[in-house]
Amino acid sequence: MTRKITIDPVTRVEGHGRVTIHLDEYGQVKDSFFHIVEFRGFERFIQGHPYWEAPVLVQRLCGICPVSHHLAAAKAIDQLVGIDPKDLSPAATKLRRLMHFGQIFQSHALHFFYLASPDLLFGVDAPAEKRNVVAVAVENRELAVKGITMRRFGQEIIKAVAGKKIHGILAVPGGVHKTFTQRERDFFMDGKEIENIDTMIEWSLGVIDFMKGYHEKNRKLLDEFAEFPSGHLGMVNELGAMDLYDGKLRAIDHEGNRTLNDISTDLYEQYFSEAVAQWSYMKFPYLKGVGREKGWNRVGPLARINLCDFIPTPLAEKERQAFIAFTGKKINNSTMYSHWARLIEVLHAAEVMKELLNDPELLGEDLVRKGTPRSKGIGIIEAPRGTLTHHYEVDEKGMITRCNLIVSTTHNNDAMNTAVKWVANNVISRKGAITDGMLNQVEVAIRAYDPCLSCATQAMGKMPLKAELYNYKGEMIDERFKY
Amino acid sequence: MSDLNTDIKKILVIGIGNCGRHDDGLGWKFTEMISKHSQGKVDSEYRYQLQVEDSVLVSKYDTVIFADASHSKLKQGFEIHRCRAATHYFYSSHMQTPETILYLAKELYNKIPKSFIVAIKGHIWGLGTTLSRVAEKNLEKAVLSFEKEFFKVAT
Repeated sequence: MTRKITIDPVTRVEGHGRVTIHLDEYGQVKDSFFHIVEFRGFERFIQGHPYWEAPVLVQRLCGICPVSHHLAAAKAIDQLVGIDPKDLSPAATKLRRLMHFGQIFQSHALHFFYLASPDLLFGVDAPAEKRNVVAVAVENRELAVKGITMRRFGQEIIKAVAGKKIHGILAVPGGVHKTFTQRERDFFMDGKEIENIDTMIEWSLGVIDFMKGYHEKNRKLLDEFAEFPSGHLGMVNELGAMDLYDGKLRAIDHEGNRTLNDISTDLYEQYFSEAVAQWSYMKFPYLKGVGREKGWNRVGPLARINLCDFIPTPLAEKERQAFIAFTGKKINNSTMYSHWARLIEVLHAAEVMKELLNDPELLGEDLVRKGTPRSKGIGIIEAPRGTLTHHYEVDEKGMITRCNLIVSTTHNNDAMNTAVKWVANNVISRKGAITDGMLNQVEVAIRAYDPCLSCATQAMGKMPLKAELYNYKGEMIDERFKY
Repeated sequence: MSDLNTDIKKILVIGIGNCGRHDDGLGWKFTEMISKHSQGKVDSEYRYQLQVEDSVLVSKYDTVIFADASHSKLKQGFEIHRCRAATHYFYSSHMQTPETILYLAKELYNKIPKSFIVAIKGHIWGLGTTLSRVAEKNLEKAVLSFEKEFFKVAT
């Protein structure tokens, strides 16, 4: 008997994709793929535009991650006007950091409360109509209100510095174009109009406690679900501390051995290569020195927690230590710990925002600096989903001649495929019947990486994600498709 | 506009769409015109898509108008109808229906504003910042009808 399954789209991820699972003649999973099959375009059509347009144009890659693209592009464009990160004025640096940590805070809050929490609250076998934020609102009003309020706080930070919550503009070549006022600062501090930054820190701690309790209750599942060895990539500062805005690139293998030893971000091309596959528009970046098979890395919160020596804010550092103590492992390779790691970064972002809001230099008026123009600029930032690279080259008129983007989700391409294979092999293979809960577990595995598929493929328009099951003859026997 | 200034306490018009996609900008244009004609007596917001946190925003108003372009065939080229809370949920976090937003406002903030949807028929949807002629006419009719009739219904 043959059957057909389609998941379309894989839900509660940013963007759309397709999963195919291939069975052998005994019903055992032979292979599986997470395909991203949409149009890839920004790297090409940005060519010929003047360099100063890049930080604005690239925001249109996505409605969720525009801040990350804006700032990564801005860091690259700074170099084209001869300015390195250390040369920016203190006000410009701090305003950009505030915007970035507002983005980390709102994006992580969105992912946890809107996308991941239904799985945690209701379980992977819950009916599909219950696995969404509307059901969370009904059953856990307090959690939903906190989630919405936290996301709004991050968005309001972005709006205050960039004029708009989505596609706002702060950075200009060599700096920023607006000051931050005392009144704007007080808005986030005094708690009169919105919950203040101290409340955000308190709520961040509360949601980490929720997550710890969840791990206590579901330890075996969370330890084992989609656990596999991989490299981990991220940025650290000169002391080895987590730095999400600027620093050096560090990578480690699954046991913590260094595979990339705190290199300057300008040198990324010497160390990374990108493989392609016929079945996906998303590339597969890897470390040349380690090779295609083992040189790929996870990026994002779990990788960053794994590879940093410490987190430079006290409450988040305490939580990082508790995270490590919980498993007793120096390096954590369990996919589902990504959620806990993400919440530690939520707390870190709140602490950093508080530091910045209290810093008098944030209100400075020295906004733009100039240097000697160059023909190449590389900006790397730790976006919510991981290491994000923007690389531009220009001609003598300042027109862009080359653009290379390595987006966070692209780094996680191998990891997501490996996670899907894990679910296919451990949950679906040889089970005879395929349930909605089983297929949701494919989504749960992908969702833990918080992929932004629009960014990863630089796609335009709709991108549905579809899951298909193929028999040993190559015939599609089951599929899942949702709108 | 005299009716507008009387019974309704706090009104929000949310334009939904994208003014860079020809007639998809109808919702924004409608909102802009109503905002201008009301001389600041209604609040206005512009959205590419409605998001979950818009439930907080609408919960602060007595009346909310959602204005959007429509692909559907509409008898007069536009339609104004009542919007009620419902538990629809779109699979992506960044696109929700007005009905879902009202539902979340009710569940989370114990408030459902009286709400209406203004749907205006559009015809072209590609890249571009101008409205088609037919869409402009539909917009004019929608604005006139809204200003003449709507507030009788709303109050």
